[in-house]
Amino acid sequence: MACTDTCAQTRPRVAIIGLASCFGCQLQITNDEAHLLDVLGQIELSYWQLASSAPEPQGDVDVVVVEGAVTTEESRRCVQRWRERCRVMIAVGACAVTGGIPGMASDALVDRCDAVYGGDLPDACGAVCAPCSVSSVVRVDFEVRSCPIDTADFIRVLEQALYGSNRFELSDTMCGSCKRNESGCLWREGKQCLGLVTLAGCGAKCVALGRECNGCRGLSPHANVAAARRMVAAMGMDVDEFDRSLELFNQTNSLLQKENR
Amino acid sequence: MTRTTLTMHHIARVEGHGNVHVDIEDGIVRDVRMNIVEPARLFESMVVGRPYDKVSYIASRICGICSSSHVVTDLMAIEDAFGIEVSERTRMLRELLVYGSYLQNHAAHLFVFAAPDFTGDESVFPLAEKDPEFFEGGLALKALGNELCAKVGGRSIHPITAVPGGFTYEMDSAEYIALADKLAAIRPFAEHAVDVFAGFPIPEIESAGDFMALHEDGRYAVVTGVPRFARDATAFAVRDYRAYIDEYPVGHSAAYFSRRADTGATFAASALARINTSWDELTREARLAAAKAGLRPPALNPYRNNVAQAVELVDVCVRCEAMLRNLAEMQGSSAPVRVVPRAARGVAMTEAPRGTLVHDIEFDETGHVTRANIITPTVHNLSDTECNIRRVAEQLAAAGVDEHTMRLEIEKLVRAYDPCLSCSVH
Repeated sequence: MACTDTCAQTRPRVAIIGLASCFGCQLQITNDEAHLLDVLGQIELSYWQLASSAPEPQGDVDVVVVEGAVTTEESRRCVQRWRERCRVMIAVGACAVTGGIPGMASDALVDRCDAVYGGDLPDACGAVCAPCSVSSVVRVDFEVRSCPIDTADFIRVLEQALYGSNRFELSDTMCGSCKRNESGCLWREGKQCLGLVTLAGCGAKCVALGRECNGCRGLSPHANVAAARRMVAAMGMDVDEFDRSLELFNQTNSLLQKENR
Repeated sequence: MTRTTLTMHHIARVEGHGNVHVDIEDGIVRDVRMNIVEPARLFESMVVGRPYDKVSYIASRICGICSSSHVVTDLMAIEDAFGIEVSERTRMLRELLVYGSYLQNHAAHLFVFAAPDFTGDESVFPLAEKDPEFFEGGLALKALGNELCAKVGGRSIHPITAVPGGFTYEMDSAEYIALADKLAAIRPFAEHAVDVFAGFPIPEIESAGDFMALHEDGRYAVVTGVPRFARDATAFAVRDYRAYIDEYPVGHSAAYFSRRADTGATFAASALARINTSWDELTREARLAAAKAGLRPPALNPYRNNVAQAVELVDVCVRCEAMLRNLAEMQGSSAPVRVVPRAARGVAMTEAPRGTLVHDIEFDETGHVTRANIITPTVHNLSDTECNIRRVAEQLAAAGVDEHTMRLEIEKLVRAYDPCLSCSVH
């Protein structure tokens, strides 16, 4: 990674920041050990608190990668500030894209804080707000879905952001992936698999390994949730359980609210 | 009067968000605060009302790097509640999954987070040029940890295949053998890493705090055993943890802190705690590497947790190689056994890479969660970290070191504990 000053000036400046999350998607970025240096060689890594003690840079950057959900007024201002300083923003992981697991706490937030902190929320928690996705606060140019993100998927999207190569947005549900995988259907085994209404793109990895889809990529814009509910009922299964499962990654998703019973 | 206030804002190369404040007046340390500024994450409230088969899926998201440990601990707590016995094969695979996360965690922590403290860099990346062999070796260890977790759990983090009662998928014999061969091949580098980390200069301090880890005679306890404090060998049943571990709130932290409930002592839960507790159960190769590095119990310098983690890397290579060869040969199934829920409380403790993890869950008769309490390793470690920051700051102030050096040594200490600040606020 030796690089002259001239070279550094021409490489796009990239910052990676983390909001409320498990830090797993940032780890997934480091988890492509074989290509890590190739990726880093294409950019000037301006700021990444997880991997470097280099302080936050001054001025604008080209790309900001955001992991995590917005859960405080401070983090809301933080993404707004970075949005003003960057050309392209990439939201990575379910927390940033759909509100993800943190989004589950968006209902009855005050009660939840009381339950965990006994009515005495430490100041260090900041000004808590209902957890939500990054895209519900600022404009996001690219998304990398899933919980956690797939490393190769991240690199593909980063390259789109850096070089403006073709954008390719999927909108179908997971069921087609299972058909291609010939992995069978878990609904036949009595498991409520959310692949039925979840955006495709991960290759239906969980189902291929015998685990039902928990919907970490979020609802597909083409999901027919009403028809799915009718099917659950027709199969003699619990529709409430299906709805509750959908909350795991779609609690704050307007697509789910629009479909409200 | 001279007064020095050190504030290390948003400490880098750790997971999560935290600041450290140290206030020194005429060489006396007046105040030390680990200011954990993570937003409230509320996991214990989010699992309430959820069915038992979704709990580990949710709890896993507390922490990316020790997701395997959260899943395994959660499954053990569920099975404890419902009185489920899993197969020996399932137990072995769970242990393997946790050990996979030891490789991931220790390699990421030692090479990516801690090493730059000693090489004088801001990040690990300059090492790619300065010492490519060391850089590539570290990344190879981390990659092998990822591969082990992915082969057992379905992906490198947030495992898919581990469910109540067993596993939904298992690799074939040839893949077990191939992984065993890779572990054997990488062991010499792990041994080298012990020497390298043992050679890095650290302040000579002794923690006054205790150490806690799971312990079992004849076995390096990771997903088995009973918790034990190292100083006085006080052991207690997993189920009784509340009588021995006091979780308490502090205003300057979004994370709870913990201390011994009986003596009030702070304690560390970490690789160093495990080595102090389970020295006799380490593999011969790991003990040898540790002894060569001058690490043996009682090891009281908290900075030595780095070396302890490197020793565990050696231990994991030897231990998992044998487990993988055994799994390739042995009969038995890891397919999930039948799980019938009942109204009950289940408690489990495991040794996550960073220390002891507690999951305590209550269910109603339909298997929905009614209450949950989770204590992560970093919660145990925060009060101990504050105490030892105080010790090192006093020592350095007495030696008259400059502010810059003091900052570096304090940050180095914080990182040596391998804190997961996001995890500590769950």
